[in-house]
Amino acid sequence: MSAQAHDTKVHKSSKPFWELMKVEGKLAIREPAGIIFGLGLPVFLLIIFGSIPAFRNTVPGTALSAFEVYIPILMVTVLIFIGLFGLPIPIVRDREIGWLRRISTTPVSPTKLLAAQVAINIIIAGISFAILTVGSVFFFGVNGSFEIPGFVLSIVLVTIALFSLGVLIAAIAPSQGVSTAMGQGLLYPLLFFAGIYVPVQFLPGYLQTISDFTPVGAAVQALDSSMQGTFPSIVPLLVMAAYAVFFSFIAIRYFRWE
Amino acid sequence: MISTENLTKKSGEPNEIAEVTNRKRVVNVDHLHKVYGKIVAVDDVSFSIAEGEIFGIIGPNGAGKTTMVECISGLRVPDSGTVTVYNLNPNDDREELRKLVGVQLQESSLPPRIKVVEALELFASFYPDPVVSNDLLESLGIAQKRNARFKQLSGGQKQRLSIALALIGNPKIAILDELTTGLDPDARRETWTLIERVRDRGVTVILVTHYMDEAERLCDRVALINHGKVIALDTPAALAAREGGGVRMQFVPSEPVNDKVLTVLPGVTSVEHRGSRVIVAGSGDLTTRVLYALLKMGVNASDVQVKSGNLEDAFVKLTQTDENTRKQEVDSK
Repeated sequence: MSAQAHDTKVHKSSKPFWELMKVEGKLAIREPAGIIFGLGLPVFLLIIFGSIPAFRNTVPGTALSAFEVYIPILMVTVLIFIGLFGLPIPIVRDREIGWLRRISTTPVSPTKLLAAQVAINIIIAGISFAILTVGSVFFFGVNGSFEIPGFVLSIVLVTIALFSLGVLIAAIAPSQGVSTAMGQGLLYPLLFFAGIYVPVQFLPGYLQTISDFTPVGAAVQALDSSMQGTFPSIVPLLVMAAYAVFFSFIAIRYFRWE
Repeated sequence: MISTENLTKKSGEPNEIAEVTNRKRVVNVDHLHKVYGKIVAVDDVSFSIAEGEIFGIIGPNGAGKTTMVECISGLRVPDSGTVTVYNLNPNDDREELRKLVGVQLQESSLPPRIKVVEALELFASFYPDPVVSNDLLESLGIAQKRNARFKQLSGGQKQRLSIALALIGNPKIAILDELTTGLDPDARRETWTLIERVRDRGVTVILVTHYMDEAERLCDRVALINHGKVIALDTPAALAAREGGGVRMQFVPSEPVNDKVLTVLPGVTSVEHRGSRVIVAGSGDLTTRVLYALLKMGVNASDVQVKSGNLEDAFVKLTQTDENTRKQEVDSK
C-alpha cells in the first residue's frame, strides 16, 4: 500500500487498467467457455485435420493441399467465435448485473473495463494464431514462405472487423440471452462463408461472390494469397476495412453502459 | 398544518438543527430538476448537507430518492438546477468528485466468480489513497470470507462487501442506497453499527432508505420525498414529535377518575374510556403530569402503557396529506 502511495503517476495512468485485466483474465479462466472456443477448438481441429491422410492430397485446380486450404479458415473461425461469443457475452453480463455501472461510480472510466475485455480476447486470438501458424508449418509441413506484411495486415483487419462486430452485439443486445441468440444466429452463416463446411473454392459462383463480400470470406481470401507468398489483392482488404469502420461506428453509436 | 416552507427553512427549530446548520456544507442541491420522458423524477429540490452528518433521504417507492443521489454522485445529468459537492460539479469534475464520494448502489452486483479480496484490491487500485483492504474487511466482519467468491456470500455478506467497496477509496462522503434491504434483523443491526462507526471517522453519510426505524436510529436529519419534492426536512425526533400524532397513554385506575381532572392538565387533548382502561392523548410530557395528578388524588394506576408518535407515523401522515393536496389540486383544475 505504501509503495502505491509513492508513485501516484503510474497509479493514475496504467495501474487500474492492468488490475482490471488481471481480474477479468482470472474471471475468463474461471468461466472458460470463451477460452475453450477461442483456443481449444482451433487447436483441436488443427490436430484432427492434420492427422487425416486424405487432407494431404492436393486440391484440384490449386497448388494447395486440403489441409493448407483449411488453415486460414481455422484462423477466421477463431475470430468468429471470439467476436460472436467470447467478447460480447462478458460485456453484456457485466452490464446486466450492474458491474459496469458500479465501476462508473469510481474515478476509473468503464471504458477501461471494455478495453481490458478486448485486450484479453486479443491475447486469446494471438495465442490461437501462433499455434495455428507455427503448428501447421513445423508439424504438418505447410510451406512457411508467407508474404508477411500482407499476412499481418489481413489478420489485423479481420480482427478489427470481427471484434467490432462483437462490441456491436454487446451494444445492442439487452441481455446475455439475446446476445447468445444473436451469436448463434450469425454463427452458421459466418462459418459457411468462411468455408468451414465446404471451402469457398468449391461453392457455386454466385455464393463465392457473396462470400467475397462478407468480412470472413474476404479474410480467408486475403490470408490464402499471403500464405502462398503474394500480397493480397485490394478488394478483400477494402471489404474488411469497410466492415471494421461500419461495425465500430454502429457499436459506438448505440453502446449503453446500463 | 405546518407548511413545507417552514420545514425547509429550519428557522426557529430546536438546537439540534441549529448545530447541524452551523457546520460546513459539503453538498448543496439547488433547484434540482430531472425528468424521464413525461415522468418528473425530481421536482425543484433544494437542500444542503453538513459535513459529518448522516443525512437520510426517505420516501415511498418511486418518489425520486435514487435519482436524487444519482445526480449528487454524477451518474445522472440534471435537466436544470445545480449540485455541488465540495464545490465540485459532479458532471464536470467527474474524476475529482469520484475520489471524494464512495457509492453503494441499489441493485448492483459483482461478477459471480470474483473473489472478495480481488474486488477490493481492484477498487483500491482506482483511488490515490485507499484504505488497507484487510483492515476494512476486519471492521466489516467479513475477513474470514476474503477468498470466497461473490456468489458464495450470503445476502448480508454481499451487502457488507458492497459497503466495503464504497469505503475502500477513503471517501469524504459515502452514499448508501437501500443498504439493508433484504437483510435479516441481526445483519441490519450490525450494518447500522457499522454506519455509525463510519460517521465517527468523520465521513458524511447520505442514506437512502424506506425503513423508518433505520432512519430514526441513524440519521441526524431526514428529507422526506414524495413525487420528487421535499415535503419535510428535519431531525427524525422533531418530525416524529410534530407530525407523529403525539403521545397516547393508557392505564387502569384503582378507582374511577373524573375526566375533568385530566382534561385540564397542560398538553392533554382527549380522554377516552375503554372498559376499565383510560386512554389519554396529547403531547409533550403528558405521562408525568397524569401520573402526578393521579397520585395527588390517591389513585393508583396499573398496567401503564405509553406510546409516542414515531417517524413512521409522521411519514404516513405527511405523505397522505401531500397526496390529498395533490388530488385537490387536480380536482380544482
